[in-house]
Amino acid sequence: MNAAMARLEFRRGRVLVGGLMLVVILYAGVIAAFYPTMRDNSSLIDQYLNLMPKGFMAAFGMTGSLSDPGIFFTTYIGSFLWPVAAAMAGIVLATRPVAADLDRGYLELTLATPTSRVRLLGWAIVGQLIALGVLVVVMIGAVLVGGWLVNAGFDAALFLRAIPVEVAFGAAIAGPATLLSVVTLSRGRSAGIVAGALIAMYLIRIVVGVEPSLDWLGRLSLFQYADVRGALTAGSFPIGDTLVLAGIGAITWVAALALFRRRDLAA
Amino acid sequence: MTDVIRTTGLTKRYGARRGVEEVDIAVAEGEVFGFLGPNGAGKTTTLRCLLGFLRPTEGRAEIFGFDCWTRAPQVHRHVSYLPSDPGYLGELTAAEQLTHLAALRGLPATTWRRLAERLELDPTVQIRRLSRGNRQKVGVVAAFMGEAPLLIMDEPTTGLDPLMQREFLSLVAEAKSAGRTVFLSSHNLPEVERSCDRVAIIRDGRVIEVSPVQDLVGSHWRSINLVLAAAAPVGTFDLPNVRIISGDARDVHLMVLGDINPILDRIAALDVHDIGISTPDIEDVFLRFYDPAGRSSPEEAAEQSIASAGPGR
Repeated sequence: MNAAMARLEFRRGRVLVGGLMLVVILYAGVIAAFYPTMRDNSSLIDQYLNLMPKGFMAAFGMTGSLSDPGIFFTTYIGSFLWPVAAAMAGIVLATRPVAADLDRGYLELTLATPTSRVRLLGWAIVGQLIALGVLVVVMIGAVLVGGWLVNAGFDAALFLRAIPVEVAFGAAIAGPATLLSVVTLSRGRSAGIVAGALIAMYLIRIVVGVEPSLDWLGRLSLFQYADVRGALTAGSFPIGDTLVLAGIGAITWVAALALFRRRDLAA
Repeated sequence: MTDVIRTTGLTKRYGARRGVEEVDIAVAEGEVFGFLGPNGAGKTTTLRCLLGFLRPTEGRAEIFGFDCWTRAPQVHRHVSYLPSDPGYLGELTAAEQLTHLAALRGLPATTWRRLAERLELDPTVQIRRLSRGNRQKVGVVAAFMGEAPLLIMDEPTTGLDPLMQREFLSLVAEAKSAGRTVFLSSHNLPEVERSCDRVAIIRDGRVIEVSPVQDLVGSHWRSINLVLAAAAPVGTFDLPNVRIISGDARDVHLMVLGDINPILDRIAALDVHDIGISTPDIEDVFLRFYDPAGRSSPEEAAEQSIASAGPGR
């Protein structure tokens, strides 16, 4: 039974995850290939960037030189590619097992079997976590491989530290999306709420970057906790921030399981 | 005989919207039970309460003594379910989908093969490429595979061609002879007539009739249209259960209540050019028993129903 559910989750997620893998490989690989240009012309590029409003640069993670691998990765991957990919994967995969399957009439088929609701949703959550993990590993791998091909000199050990942070960031999107799909039983509503919240949190991050006195506001933004600059630059691992992100994912997933166990499916 | 299904005052409301009201049904072990009603009457809501998908607003539903809401997993061990419009995963082949459903029920992976062959279902085709009828076959195979003692099916023959409908009725008969209980929601009266022991009729969320199917069929008004070569002798159609609705000497429209054999004996003695016999559909049954327009007599309701459809239906 468990093997069957795992197989089906893999089968159902493979197109989305495969497509996103292709995107992150291409994007991360190509961006990584640009790094030597940034590194070798750092003074020129830094002069150019200094002409930009510092607040906006900070808002997008550019608080130092782009020749720094941590700043470079955060600017082009951590603050841009991964939030988009994680939001797509997280929202689509998280809203499928309950809301979308209820809407398409598939949920009734599986719920009418002796398999418990917790097990059905639990396997879907495992599938989400694996998908997010695979995407992050592939993304970091693409950066490293792209960098290796052009002799970028990335420190693989430092980059691997970003993996748990980025996976936790994806979990912090997928968990609430799963919970909302159980609460609303509507894929559109739950996806819309999560997407809207992510956009709001992204804007908060920009506002905080522009106006440092509003730093407290940044705590409301997931992006604040997904900052891997320290890990990539100094080798310090953001344990607290990672736990916050993972905690949001874990708590909302558990809440979704508990609620789904007794959820009246009157949409 | 023990009751496999029992609902007591089962009520489900969707906010202010009516679902079902105070549904009381008892289905005995080994019985084939029809649940009849037009679209929107509350059939599917009742089924969803039975399967523990919906929490009753009031009352309760039990299957094999287990409360359908609080003990749903136990209920599901005894039930095989065919929804009215199952949304299979289009990207899977029928074989993959059936194998997966078999696994969820703890059945061997190939448990569906014999049934698929019997229903002439090609399991290698992706479900999204199957016709409506073939998708329905997937559901029928899924419902009948395994040995669940209770089969709950919602509009099971929708989209099946007449041959497959007949095969479906054979499967129901075999399930019955194997001692399994079948709960069949339908608005297809002939299908219910042929397969069910008893029926419940639901309208506007309330069960308005529960009776053996023979009682329901026996009290049917049938419409007979005759085209005769010559006028029938006076008194030919004078039988207690026959009423002449219209007709001149050679073109006769009769209504027959219950047993049709006596009038057929009389007709057999005539020189008949053409004959048409039609049975009422479920709407006619409703009109006969519970005419919303307030016609008090069942005959009036049936006459109007038949007349509105015109001869030759």
